[in-house]
Amino acid sequence: MKKFVLLLLLLFTSSITFAQENVPTLSLTIENAGMEEVLLIIEQKTSYKMYFVSQWLSNEKFSGSYENIRLDELLSILLKDSLLNYYISDDATVVLTQNSIIYESLPDGFFDAGNSNSTSISSQEEEEIAAPVFFNETTASEVKKIETIRIGREDRNAAKKRFTLTGKLTNATNGGPAPNIAITVKGKDIGAITAEDGSYTLELPAGINILETNSLEFEKIQKRVVIYNDGVLDFGLDEAYVGLREVLIQANVDRNVKDANIGATKIDVKEIKNIPLVLGERDIFKVAATLPGISTAGEGASGYNVRGGKTDQNLVLLDDGVIYNPAHFFGIFSAINPFTSNDVTIYKGNVPAKFGGRLSSVFDIKTKDANVEKFSGEASIGPVTSNLVLETPVVKDKAGVLVGARSTYSDWILRNLDEEELRKSSASFYDVVVKYNHELDGKNNIKATGYYSKDAFSITSDSLYSYSNRLVALQWNHTFNDKNTGSLILTNSQYKFDIDFDGQTNTNFELGYTITETEAKLDMNYAGSERHDFHYGFASKLYKVEPGSIGPKGSNSIITPLTLPEERALESAVYISDIFQLNDRLTLEAGLRFSFYAALGASEQNIYADGVPRSDGTLVEVREFGQNDVIETYSAPEVRVSGRYLLNPSLSVKGSFNTNYQYIHTLSSNTTVSPTDTWKLSDINIKPQSATQFSMGIFKNLKDNLYELSLEGYYKKVDDILDYKVGSQLLLNETLEQEVLQGEGKSYGAELLLRKSKGRWNGWVGYTYSRSFVKLDSNFAEERVNNGEFFPSNYDKPHDFSFVGNFKLTKRYSFSANFVYQTGRPVTVPVGNFILNDTELVLFSDRNEFRVPDYYRLDISFNIEGNHKTKKLAHSFWNISIYNVLGRNNPYSVFFVTEGGEVKAFQSSIFSIPIPTISYNLKF
Amino acid sequence: MRARTDYIIFLFCGILCCASCIEEIEFENEIFESALVIDATITNEDKKQEIFLSRTYPFEDGGPNPESNATVNVIGNAKVYEFNEVDTGSYVSQIPFKAEPNVDYQLQINTSDGRTYISNAKQLTSITQINDLYAVRETNDDGANGMSIYIDTFDPTGNSKFYRYEYEETFRVEPPVFVSQDLVIDTAPGELADPCPDCQLKFEFRSQDKRICYRTETSKNINLINSADFTEDRVTRFLTRFVRSDDYRISHRYSILVKQFVHSSEAYNYLEAVSRFSGEGSLFSQVQPGFVTGNIVAQNNIGEKVLGYFDVTSVSTKRIFFNYEEFYPNQPLPPYINSCELKAPLRCVQENNTSFRCGGLVNGIRRNIIVYRGPNNGQIPLGGAHLMVDRECGDCTALGDPEPPDFWIE
Repeated sequence: MKKFVLLLLLLFTSSITFAQENVPTLSLTIENAGMEEVLLIIEQKTSYKMYFVSQWLSNEKFSGSYENIRLDELLSILLKDSLLNYYISDDATVVLTQNSIIYESLPDGFFDAGNSNSTSISSQEEEEIAAPVFFNETTASEVKKIETIRIGREDRNAAKKRFTLTGKLTNATNGGPAPNIAITVKGKDIGAITAEDGSYTLELPAGINILETNSLEFEKIQKRVVIYNDGVLDFGLDEAYVGLREVLIQANVDRNVKDANIGATKIDVKEIKNIPLVLGERDIFKVAATLPGISTAGEGASGYNVRGGKTDQNLVLLDDGVIYNPAHFFGIFSAINPFTSNDVTIYKGNVPAKFGGRLSSVFDIKTKDANVEKFSGEASIGPVTSNLVLETPVVKDKAGVLVGARSTYSDWILRNLDEEELRKSSASFYDVVVKYNHELDGKNNIKATGYYSKDAFSITSDSLYSYSNRLVALQWNHTFNDKNTGSLILTNSQYKFDIDFDGQTNTNFELGYTITETEAKLDMNYAGSERHDFHYGFASKLYKVEPGSIGPKGSNSIITPLTLPEERALESAVYISDIFQLNDRLTLEAGLRFSFYAALGASEQNIYADGVPRSDGTLVEVREFGQNDVIETYSAPEVRVSGRYLLNPSLSVKGSFNTNYQYIHTLSSNTTVSPTDTWKLSDINIKPQSATQFSMGIFKNLKDNLYELSLEGYYKKVDDILDYKVGSQLLLNETLEQEVLQGEGKSYGAELLLRKSKGRWNGWVGYTYSRSFVKLDSNFAEERVNNGEFFPSNYDKPHDFSFVGNFKLTKRYSFSANFVYQTGRPVTVPVGNFILNDTELVLFSDRNEFRVPDYYRLDISFNIEGNHKTKKLAHSFWNISIYNVLGRNNPYSVFFVTEGGEVKAFQSSIFSIPIPTISYNLKF
Repeated sequence: MRARTDYIIFLFCGILCCASCIEEIEFENEIFESALVIDATITNEDKKQEIFLSRTYPFEDGGPNPESNATVNVIGNAKVYEFNEVDTGSYVSQIPFKAEPNVDYQLQINTSDGRTYISNAKQLTSITQINDLYAVRETNDDGANGMSIYIDTFDPTGNSKFYRYEYEETFRVEPPVFVSQDLVIDTAPGELADPCPDCQLKFEFRSQDKRICYRTETSKNINLINSADFTEDRVTRFLTRFVRSDDYRISHRYSILVKQFVHSSEAYNYLEAVSRFSGEGSLFSQVQPGFVTGNIVAQNNIGEKVLGYFDVTSVSTKRIFFNYEEFYPNQPLPPYINSCELKAPLRCVQENNTSFRCGGLVNGIRRNIIVYRGPNNGQIPLGGAHLMVDRECGDCTALGDPEPPDFWIE
């Protein structure tokens, strides 16, 4: 009998282990070792992890010597007399199971068993051969012990060779009927399927029949029926718990190729944890900047430039609320907590019609939902910041709350530095996120997010700068029916900064700026048919800007209080879009957004003479507007069309055409973003800016979606982009329109990306060639820059190469590196000196005529995961990073200072030496 | 109706970590652009008005290229004031005149290459006197101790607002190692046995004029303040000059003349912008520099860059004096500008077996860079016979003028 057992086992095992094509071989000698001991030896000799329960293992001792034996063969030998099965998985693990077998895939044709075409088996002997295993109670078996049932009274005179067996199958757990169960007779071409009420009828040959039930729902049951006459057999079935190997549902694996949208990138925050860090901070934006089309002006430059767009042209949304300045500390850290973020989708090409208000991109960041099952958390300790996130269910399985907080101790670091200059400065920041999510019923859920971030820093001992972002977002999602769903979203966000000047003179002051916006948005989805997916809705937001106020600080200050009048505006939009699948190859995502903007009073607007530069001398009248009077309106249709044509299942071409309008602008007289940049609403004198973008791309997935390859090209034209007369003072300027220039922008580029997101090696390589230009022309010299010709923008970096790679050494150790190369950014440098009022001064070149040297940087990091024991309090993770391993002194800017009547040139760089960092993360 | 001052000055913020750095670099203009620089401010002082014309110069060059042979005229009050070039690039009005209120003045320049430059018409700004000028000994925001020279000014009419300050400091210089003898070149041939017969020296009495001198220096920066943000047109305790306690300038008696210019808002903004572009930088954010358009254009070529701003300003001046002991009673003097190390260069040196030449002693005296201190009695072994010091240590005329200026009051 044993021979048969082995045979069966081998049959099973061989069919299973073939899942693993390259099982390792090993050589070993065992002498009187216990089973566990042998398994541990195997674990040592191979990199395979063994998972088993010690109690299952027999006390049997093994001896033997094996030379280059395959792991599966060895396991078969080892386990042949036990009740254990094994499964070797692709990721170098071996799982031992008792009785049950781990299936590689769901069984095929299970229910067809009754219609099996096998015809040859009918003899008693074959029957015996086919099922000997079941007579032995001690053998490894997937079925329960067989019960023998005798049906009918044997009638020796009966002429019938077949008898009818009828009966009913029930669910043993609840007594209900068990329909659609296949009952087969082992070795015979006989079968039946139970009806709705669980009843069945079988014609059985006289004698011994082995009945077997087959179902995914219920455990397999075998009954030995010795039939002598027609009869009835009812029995119950136990519900089955089939151990399946994890089923990887890889949605979106072919999104790269199949999505109709072009220029959208999704970053999963969990997957970026291995990427080398600056000062221990995991940063979504920094990772985004390694992807083609997204760049920063330099290290320590806050703000991102997407496809040659200005930094104010990005809509940064956290749970649909706008964050105006998502940067801490001049952009060295992002203000988005990585632990509380789920993912970010960046739209840089085709922006879906539901988004609007910015020209270049949308960063759609989603906070992760709180854990509604159990209390959990995550913490990290880095050299500059600490981060703690806690999640707890409020209503079990329905509602939970997540709180994340991050803070820096940089102030403490600065105070302990040797250098006098640095000791005087201070810098601190923190951010807090709170999210509540509640599944009310199957059709309704609500989410609420609160966010606050604050930065404070001082560079000189007499001034303190601070800025903060505040955000509240409420969302109610409702499912009307199978085809209609909708979300109602209310958000309110605020950005403000303050400057406190407290020096030794009597000119101490406090200066402040605030922008607040409140938005209501209704977003509806109608999944009309398989070919249509409609999104439509409307959104309306009210802006309130306090453009600046200054007041005396202290009693002896002689500063006059001044408050620039509040600005208000209403920006609304209706939109509709349809993802329309024309045929198997062609899908269109066509959207139309109609935006409407109204600048509202109360306000005084300066009207200037036409055709001459705006100045006090050309001021014609000051027009008064009462509270809520409409000062000026702008409206425009925005077209968002994108299409995909599938050449074959792994190759597609896509194209898009987009127009966007932006009614709000940043005022900045700096070459890069500064926290004191302010936002200005469009009004009578300042028009909204608009952009038109064409993009095309070819997308290919290779090796079963293992590699994604894409090549995209774009051309973008921007009108009424805001710039300023050279030397303008923008803050607290009551006649800002006199300083503003509105010009043209154009940018184009090609982006190549090869990405491998799975496997021991993963990462991506990106290369972008892009240009970005601005033109400021006028009939008047003072309103012209570079003679009215196109000149490279501050962030025009033609070549941009980046590589991000992760290599998993083992399950616990991994190594990452990233390398960046970029053309140096354009700068304006002196082309001569001159003397005026006995002072040596510099004459500058045309704007952005020169470039700082090229930028390159290599970072590496090594990650150590805590052990994988199942019973431990928390999972830990160490990250050791070295930023700028090559110690490249990448110049960030070149500037000139007059000292003692003499001009000196300086070069600044942010991280000029390798920066090692170690951070510790904990998850529980 | 004008831009308020932006207080955001990010000076050298070398914040965060020692990893960030700002370093001085050698910079050369890759492309040099030559442009005319017009330094023209007409004031309400009745004097021969001065206008300076120069051209831009490359970064590595030391100084400006004066623009000569131009015709410079200021037109105003129905008169043409002609200017003559008295020094290269320096043009002075033929007759003294002062700017009158409510009169349009315009600058017109024809350069030798035939180009014409014309300014906008400007009028004299309001006239405001300096209220007070005073010296305070204090430790400043940078932690340095010294003398702060503050100014107070007030325009009750509220029309001045845009001020620029220049100073002219004059101080007494007393060389620390003044001796009554000087070693000078003796043209008479020396003894026959002297291997260096042409390197003869002799003693002379040193003039007492070399004992006390007066040195004048002028400000070399654009110092601006506007009172537009203040409750009234009043500037109080505005720093015009800071002299550190260890500066030799305040060693004896010090005087400072502060000139207050009231500018038009446009001129003020121009000067503010050009000095801002050359005056600061920051690690993290850099002001977008560029060419600032002034109020002078090249008639034949609208696109030509012309530097400078023609303005007609009122001027007010005030002078104060103070002695070192007033603020530093019984305290040692600040270190002299020169540490006055003793040296004993040789009079005659042997070049090879046969030839000799004059040594550092004779050459130094010829070039007038060293003066006699005393005999070398072994203070400097292997040196020459005489102890010498740098000229300014024993001869104040190296630094200033022995005659006290007219305004000087002891």
